[in-house]
Order: sequence, then C-alpha cells, then structure tokens
Amino acid sequence: MNDEPVSKLLVLDDGPSHARRIKQFCDENHLVPLKVRKGSVMSVLRTNIDLGGILYSENYEDSPEETARVALEIHAARPELPIIIRRERQATLAGLPDASQHAYCAAYVASDMSALRKVIDEYIFCLMYPNALLRGIAEITEAVLAGQFKGLKVAMDTPYIVHDRVIFGELFSLIQLESSWCRGYMMLQTEEDPLLELIGRDAPQNLGATFRSVNDLLSEITNLIWGSFKNRYIGDDKAAATGRIQIPLVVNHKHKYISFGTENPQLCFRFTLTDEGTGRSSTLYERFIFNLNWSPEDFKEIAPDTAELVDSGELELF
Amino acid sequence: MAQILIVDDSSTVRDEVSTFLKNGGLDVITAVDGKDGLVKLKGDPGIKLVVCDVNMPNMDGLTMVEKIRGELGNKTVNLIMLTTESSPNMKERGKAAGVKGWIVKPFKGASVLETFKKLVA
Repeated sequence: MNDEPVSKLLVLDDGPSHARRIKQFCDENHLVPLKVRKGSVMSVLRTNIDLGGILYSENYEDSPEETARVALEIHAARPELPIIIRRERQATLAGLPDASQHAYCAAYVASDMSALRKVIDEYIFCLMYPNALLRGIAEITEAVLAGQFKGLKVAMDTPYIVHDRVIFGELFSLIQLESSWCRGYMMLQTEEDPLLELIGRDAPQNLGATFRSVNDLLSEITNLIWGSFKNRYIGDDKAAATGRIQIPLVVNHKHKYISFGTENPQLCFRFTLTDEGTGRSSTLYERFIFNLNWSPEDFKEIAPDTAELVDSGELELF
Repeated sequence: MAQILIVDDSSTVRDEVSTFLKNGGLDVITAVDGKDGLVKLKGDPGIKLVVCDVNMPNMDGLTMVEKIRGELGNKTVNLIMLTTESSPNMKERGKAAGVKGWIVKPFKGASVLETFKKLVA
C-alpha cells in the first residue's frame, strides 16, 4: 500500500502552457488532477463526492467578471472545497473583484510552484496521518470485509484526503472514536442495492433479505472495524472514557450532505467488493473524521503481541 | 427449554451464532440487549450457557453478567463473552463477575462448538 494519502483536485485551468506543469506538480505531490470541460463544471461537482479542492485560474473565463462569477457559483455549491487560484503576476488575492475574493482560499503564480506546495499543505493536507495508522486501518478493514464477504474479492484504493461532505449512496453508519490522541467518528457509506445483491448471491432462498438486512450487516461491519481499531490503537486508554465536549452533527437528506462542524478534512478509504463469478460489485467508503481532537504526536499502536495474545474467534478460558 | 442464550444487539451476529449452534444440535434462544437477556434468562431455567456481547444499548453485557451473579443470584449458569473488546481491564471485570471465557469477534464456531457442548451438558 502507498504510505502517503493522495487527494483529488478539480483542475479548472485551461492554460496550455501550464497544463504540463500542473500535471507534473500533482504527480510529485500526491495529487490526482481531474480535468473538466468548460461548461460541465457544475455537473462534475454534482457527481464527484470525494474531492480535496480545486485549482483555478484567473484566466479561466474570458473576462475577470465571468471568472469571478464561476468561482462564486462553485463556492456557493461547495463552500467546503478550497479553491486555489493561479494568478499571472502576484501570489495574492489583491486586485481580484472584491465580491469574489472570499471564494478563494489562496493564490499562487506558476513561476513559484514551491509556494503552491505550501498552500496545498495548509489547505488540503492540513492534518498529518501516521503511516502505521493508514496501514492498520487498511489491514483491519480488509480483514473484516473478507470475513463478512467470503469468496468475494476485496480491493482498496490508495487512501485519500477529502474535503467534500457529500454522502455516497443511500446509507451510512457512524461510530465514535475516543482516545487521548483522537476524537471523532468513523463513517461507512454504501449503496443499498449492490450490497443486497451480494448478500443474496449464495442464498437464492433468502428471499426475505431487505434493506434491514443491509442495515444490520453495515452495523456489524462497523462494529468489527471499530473493535479492532480500539484494540490496536486505543486499548485501556483512560482518556477514552472521560466525557468532554461534543458538537452537533448536521445531516441534510435533501442535499445528501453531512457536516461534522469542522473544516478538517476527512481521511477516506474506498473499498470495492467484487463477485468475480458474476461481475457484481459494491463500493464502500470508509471515512475518518477527527473533528473533536487530532493529536498525531500522541498516536500509539499497541504492540501486536499484546493485541493478538488471543486470536480472534478463539475461546480464551479463564 | 433452551440450553444457550445468545445476547447481542446485532441481528447479524444473533442469526450467525444461533444458526451455527442449532445446526450443531444445540437449543438456542436470543436476546437483543442486557435487559432482554436478564428477562429471557429468568424465564427459562434450562439455560446452561449465556454467550453475550459487551457493547449493547440499554444494558451492556458486563453489567448484565454482574446482575446475573448478583441480583439474580444465579451462580451456576456459564457465562462467555463474545465481543470486539479485548482490553485487559474489561476481561478483569468479566472475570470478577464470574465470566468463564472470552471470545474476540468474529465468531468462528467450529473452534468452540465442542466446548459449548460440554458447558451445557
């Protein structure tokens, strides 16, 4: 597994002289550029649910006013996505139409891409995730999915950083993560029908499977991942049990949107379950949102020989 | 009369474990949380083994087993925890309450079936 998370950026910069430079910059900085045809920006925004931000250009449209109008439209649709604008002469927002300046988080010039790297670190990769955590989450989740979906192929993408708050699919689960080094949530998102088809693949007589079967399965998968996460990274952490502040979460069903009350990015893992016999597959997004505390300097992994004294599933008699 | 009571808030786990044990020739009933588990145990004197999750709504599994030994005064029923938890503190609390064994999920029935049969004999 790649140890460094990546992030998907929408690239709205048609300057041919910059295209190669941006591509190279993205390749060197764990960014995945997504080029979009002019005129289809809003439709792409509607279908992409896991973006990290947007690279924009002050010459994106024919006039400064039109460029500002599009930026404001994007910002209004997805205010959580940082928009970084490339300017011709100065790496500041000064001189842009006043009404549009709040849409951008920062500016850069093509002649100083190292400054863009700093901006990316500040606005996209603003939380650092220990490699041991990334690897562990991947191992835990793959093991749980393989256990719950025997005979299916489990594939995982490189973990990535998301600023989007749009919900994938029709159902999701949430469970709190509490420790001295992190406080937040794990969220699993999926689509109902593909998962329902996979559940029933080996049991044609199981005509009673309904959305509740999917709910229950997602709940158990969540529980198993959460348990392994706790055993591996939290243990008997006393701080985990102490009640502290909470902030409300907001779910807007109409817009398939969830807010955890923070600007913090989300750490996202995307898994695909495939029945290689039928070709049917289901996608599961696993997101970690450390909205209440993130102190990676205190991160600790419980020694595997302690965590694995007893193999899972085996009876330890007292 | 049942021999085994499975207590878990997850219907996926209840179905998986009870189906496996029934196929292994054991009589099983289920409960959805600790409170329900206490009611079911009180109502069925034939139960010899309780297999119980820890994290459940309304009443957690460790509180339930403490009440079985304390409030119910049932000193004989065998208690096994089936849970994602593996912390030493939790296990110590379970031991103190008279828990006989601990299984970290996921459930692998084949490795415990014979032991369960002995515990209900």
